[in-house]
Amino acid sequence: MSIFASPLSVAGTRTSGAPVRTQNVMAAASIANIVKSSLGPVGLDKMLVDDIGDVTVTNDGATILRLLEVEHPAAKVLVELAQLQDEEVGDGTTSVVIIAAELLKNADELVKQKIHPTSIISGYRLACKEACRYIQDNLTIPVEELTKACVVNVAKTSMSSKIIGADADLFAAMVVDAANAIKVLDSSKNPLYPIKAVNILKAHGRSARESMLIQGYALNCTVASQAMPKKIVHAKIACLDFSLQKAKMKMGVQVLINDPEKLEAIRARELDITKERIQKILAAGVNVVLVSGGIDDLCLKYFVESGAMGVRRVKKADLKRIAKATGAAFLTSLTNMDGEECFDSSMVGEAAEVVQERISDDELILIKGPKARTAASIILRGPNDFYCDEMERSVHDALCAVKRVLESKSVVAGGGSVEAALSIYLENFATTLSSREQLAIAEFAKSLLVIPKTLAVNAAQDATDLVAKLRAYQNTSQTKADLANLKWVGLDLLEGVVRDNKKAGVLEPTVSKIKSLKFATEAAITILRIDDMIKLDPEQRGDKSYKQAMESGELYD
Amino acid sequence: MTIQASMGDGNKVKGLVYKDKSKPTDVRHSNINAAKAVCDAIRTSLGPRGMDKMIQAGNGEVTITNDGATILKQMNVVHPAAKMLVELSRAQDVEAGDGTTTVVVVAGALLDAAEKLLSRGIHPTAVSESFQRAASHAVEILTGIATPIQLDNREQLVKSASTSLNSKVVSQHSSSLAPLAVDAVLKVVEPGREQVVSLSDIKVIKQLGGTVEDTELIDGLVFPQRVANVNGPKRIEKAKIGFIQFCISPPKTDMDHNVVVSDYAAMDRVLKEERTYILNIVKQIKKAGCNVLLIQKSILRDAVSDLALHFLDKIKCMVIKDVEREDVEFVCKSLGCRPIASLDHFTAENLVTAELVEEVGVGGNRMVKITGAQNAGKTVTLLVRGSNKLVLAEADRSLHDALCVIRCLVRKRAVIAGGGAPEIELALKLAARADTMEGIDAICLRAYANALEIIPFTLAENAGLNPIQTVTELRNRHAKGETSAGINVRKGTISDILEENVVQPLLVTVSAISFATETVRSILKIDDIVNTMT
Repeated sequence: MSIFASPLSVAGTRTSGAPVRTQNVMAAASIANIVKSSLGPVGLDKMLVDDIGDVTVTNDGATILRLLEVEHPAAKVLVELAQLQDEEVGDGTTSVVIIAAELLKNADELVKQKIHPTSIISGYRLACKEACRYIQDNLTIPVEELTKACVVNVAKTSMSSKIIGADADLFAAMVVDAANAIKVLDSSKNPLYPIKAVNILKAHGRSARESMLIQGYALNCTVASQAMPKKIVHAKIACLDFSLQKAKMKMGVQVLINDPEKLEAIRARELDITKERIQKILAAGVNVVLVSGGIDDLCLKYFVESGAMGVRRVKKADLKRIAKATGAAFLTSLTNMDGEECFDSSMVGEAAEVVQERISDDELILIKGPKARTAASIILRGPNDFYCDEMERSVHDALCAVKRVLESKSVVAGGGSVEAALSIYLENFATTLSSREQLAIAEFAKSLLVIPKTLAVNAAQDATDLVAKLRAYQNTSQTKADLANLKWVGLDLLEGVVRDNKKAGVLEPTVSKIKSLKFATEAAITILRIDDMIKLDPEQRGDKSYKQAMESGELYD
Repeated sequence: MTIQASMGDGNKVKGLVYKDKSKPTDVRHSNINAAKAVCDAIRTSLGPRGMDKMIQAGNGEVTITNDGATILKQMNVVHPAAKMLVELSRAQDVEAGDGTTTVVVVAGALLDAAEKLLSRGIHPTAVSESFQRAASHAVEILTGIATPIQLDNREQLVKSASTSLNSKVVSQHSSSLAPLAVDAVLKVVEPGREQVVSLSDIKVIKQLGGTVEDTELIDGLVFPQRVANVNGPKRIEKAKIGFIQFCISPPKTDMDHNVVVSDYAAMDRVLKEERTYILNIVKQIKKAGCNVLLIQKSILRDAVSDLALHFLDKIKCMVIKDVEREDVEFVCKSLGCRPIASLDHFTAENLVTAELVEEVGVGGNRMVKITGAQNAGKTVTLLVRGSNKLVLAEADRSLHDALCVIRCLVRKRAVIAGGGAPEIELALKLAARADTMEGIDAICLRAYANALEIIPFTLAENAGLNPIQTVTELRNRHAKGETSAGINVRKGTISDILEENVVQPLLVTVSAISFATETVRSILKIDDIVNTMT
C-alpha cells in the first residue's frame, strides 16, 4: 500500500474523494455562519479585534470577512467572493456568501445520495440561468416608475440593516443628493456616478443626526499660517502638484564656492526662485493656493502679505477632484512651451466661497459652490470612532446601491421577495425536466429560501410560519394571472408580517440581485468540482533528496 | 562502543549501497510503481466530467485546476521515475498543448501492462522494442481514421475547441470561448507559413472582475496600465503612435558625475538647462506629429520625468509608459512599427497610425486599447475575465489549451473523434494485428492494445457510468464497424460521437501515444539507479 502513497509523498498532505468535498463545504458553512446573524434590517453587528488591539464594529459582510484571517483554501474562495461583490456591486455582500454556502450544503447532501457532482453542477448552472432570466422578465420594476422617492427608498433599504438605519430618512436623502451632485456624462452621453468623488469625512463628537451634506468639497486640511484669512468669497483657486519650497539642486549638482559672500547670494537665489513662482501665481489674481507638497514658512509671508489663503499637503486625489470641480488646471509644473515659467489666468479655478470651519476638534476647509461642476462631500458625525467608521461603510454601501439603480434604472422588491418568487418558480421549473438535473434545481430553489429564513430568524420572528406565508402569496401570484401583483410581497421584519414591499418602498437594485446569484453559483461550482486537495508544506531549506527518501525506506515497502 | 557503532553504521550503509544496486528487477519495479502512482493521482481529472484538484502551495497560494500539466507541476514529486512522467506531461503541453492528462494516463496503463509482461519473464528490451512497433502502428491507424478538415471550416474548428474546453471549470462558457480561440488563432496564421504559427502572437491579458462570459477578443493592442498623463487626453482618434526606447528625463552619464555650481546665476542656468533639454525632446515629438507615445520601461532612470509629462500634457500627447521589454516585439508586430532608439530617428515616417487609442475602464482597473492600426501585423489580444482569481487563472489555462488545439489543427489539418472512440478503435485493430503474429511480439502487442482501453474506461468511471459495461459495449460497437462510436458523457450512453460534435485534433492523440510510449520505453530500459548525491 505504501507504494501508492509514498512516491507521491509530496512535502505535504493530500486528501481526495468525498472527504475533501465535505471538508470544503464545512469550511464554507462556517464562514457563512459567521456573517449569517448580520443579515437584514434587524441583523446584529460584529466586533472584531485584531492582533494589535484595533477594534472594528461592523455589519458589513465584506468588511467582516476581510478582517478574518482565513486559512482554509475553500473558505478563502468565499472571502474573495464577498470582496468581489463589494467591488462589483458594493452591496449585498452578506447575502452572496450565505447563498453560496447554502448551495454547497445542499449539494453535499445530494452527493451523499449518490448523485454525481457533475450532474449537480449542470443543474445549478441551469437554475442560475433560469433565475436570472426570470428576474429580468418578471420581477424588475421598470424605468418609468423610477422617481426620486424610489431612489431614496433604495438607499433606505440598503441602510436599514446598518447602524444608520434609525436615521434612514436623513441619510437616504443625503446620499441621493450626493449621488446626483457628482453625476457626469461619459463620451456616449450616458450618466455615470463615480462614487469615489463623494468625499466622506468623519469627525467624532455630536450625534449622527448632525451629519451633513456639503454642496462643495470638504478638505481635511487647515490653512498654512494663522495669519491667513479664514474665509474668502469669490475665491480664485490654483491647484499645484509641487512644493513651494526652497529650490534644491538635483542630485549630482555640487555647489562649490570660494568666496563667502557668494554663499549668501546662493542662499538668496534659492529663495528667490520660489518667490518668483509665488509672485507669478499671485499676479494672476489667485487668492487660494492648494499645494500637494509643502510650503516653506519663509514663503508663507508672501501669501499673508497679499491676503491669500495657502493650503499645504492636500492629498493628490483631492486636489485632482477640486481641479475638476472648480475648473482649475492641475499643474505639475509652471513651465510653458518656451521653457520659461509662467502662470496665466486660464489656469485659475473659481468657487463661490472657501472657508475654514471648525468641526469638533478639527478644522476643515470647505470649498463651496465650485464653478465648473457640482461636487458633494458628506461630513459624518458620531459619538465615537467605531461608530463613524461603520457609518462611513454604510453610507458607501448606500451610495453604491443608489449608483446601481441610477445607472441601470431598474429595481426589484426586497425583503426576501425575489428569493421566494424564484424558489417557487424554480421548483415548478424543475418538475418540467426529466433529467438528473431536476434534483439539483430543486435544491437550488430550496437554497434560495435561506435568505428570507435568515432574515426572519435574525428578526426574532417565526421563520417557518413567515416563509410559508410568503411562499403561499408568491405561488398565487405565479399561478393566477389576475393576482400577479402579489409578486411584490415580501417580509416586514419589524411587524413580523408579510406585505407588499413595492408599496412599502423596500427596493434593491436589480444588478445587485443578479450579480450576487451569478457570483454565488460560480463560487459554489468552483468548490464543488474539487475532489482532491494537495496541501504543500511551507518550503523548507532544500527538498528531501532522493537519497534521504530511499534511506527512510520510502521507495521500498 | 563507538567503533562498533560506526561499524554497524558502515554495515548499514554498505547494505543500503548494496540494496541500491540490487537486482534490476527491483529498480524497474520501483520505477513502474512510482510512475503509476503519478498516473493514479491525476486520473480523476480526465474527461468532461473530470474533477478538479485544489492545490495549496507552500506559500499559501491556492490553485484550482483540471489541467494535468499544471497539477503535476505543482506537486513536487520526489521519485526520479515519477519525475519522468511529470516531464512527459510538460512535453505534451509544449508540443500539443492539450491532452496532458491523457498522456500520463496512457503512460501509466502501458507501464502496468509492461509490468505484467516482465513478470512473465519477457526481457525488458523485447517489451520496449515491441511497444515501439505498436506505437508506430497505432499512429498509422490513427492517421487512417482521421478526417481531414479545411481551415475555412470554422464550425469544425469551433467544435474541436469546445471539446477541449468542455473538460474544464469554464465548460459552461465553452460556447462563447471556443469561437474566440478559433478567431484568435486564425487571425495570426500567415498564409503559406502555417507550420510556424506561434501562440506568442496572441496576447492573453487577465483581468479580475466580470464573469468568464465577458471575455473578449480585441483586434488590436491592449496595455494593462493606465495612461501616464496627469491631465492629458484619454481618447485620441486618428492617432499617430511613436514607440520610443529612450528616456525623456534628465540624462545620466555612465560614470559618477558632478556639476559644479559656483555662482548663483548658474543655478538658474542648471534649472533652465534641464527644462530646455526636455523641451527639445518634446518639441521634436511634436514636430513629428506624434500624439500617442509608448515608452519602454527603463530601470536606470525615470522613463519619463514629471516635467516631461507636463510638457507632453501640454502638446496633448497621450503617454503610455512602462511597456515591458519582453512585450516590445509583440507591440511592434501588432502596430507594424519599429522602436525608435534615439531622438534623431523620431521623425514622421517612423510613426504609425491607428484609428483609435482610448483609455477604458474594465472592472476596477483602467487600460489602454489601441484599435485599427494602419499596417497591423497579425496579432490579437484576448482579454480574459473571471469572477475570482482562481477561476480567472483556470480560464486562462483552459483558453491556452483551446488555442493549442486550434494550433494543432492548423499545423496538421485532421481531426478524429473524441470520447474514447479512437482509443478503442486502436485497441481492436492492434489486437487483430496481434492475432496474425507469432512470438513475443504478439503478446506485447496485445498487452499494448489492452492498455489503451484505459482512456474510455477512465472516461466512463469519471462520468459516473459503469466502466466495464460501457467499455465492453463500446468494443462491441466498434467490432461491428462503427468507428466513430464513443462515450457520450452528457447522456451517459454510447453513440456516434461525431454527431455529438466531440472531435479532437489528430496531432494531440498522435503525440500523446508516441510520447507515452517513448517514456515507457525509457523507464523500462533503466535497470539501475546510482545515487551520486551526498
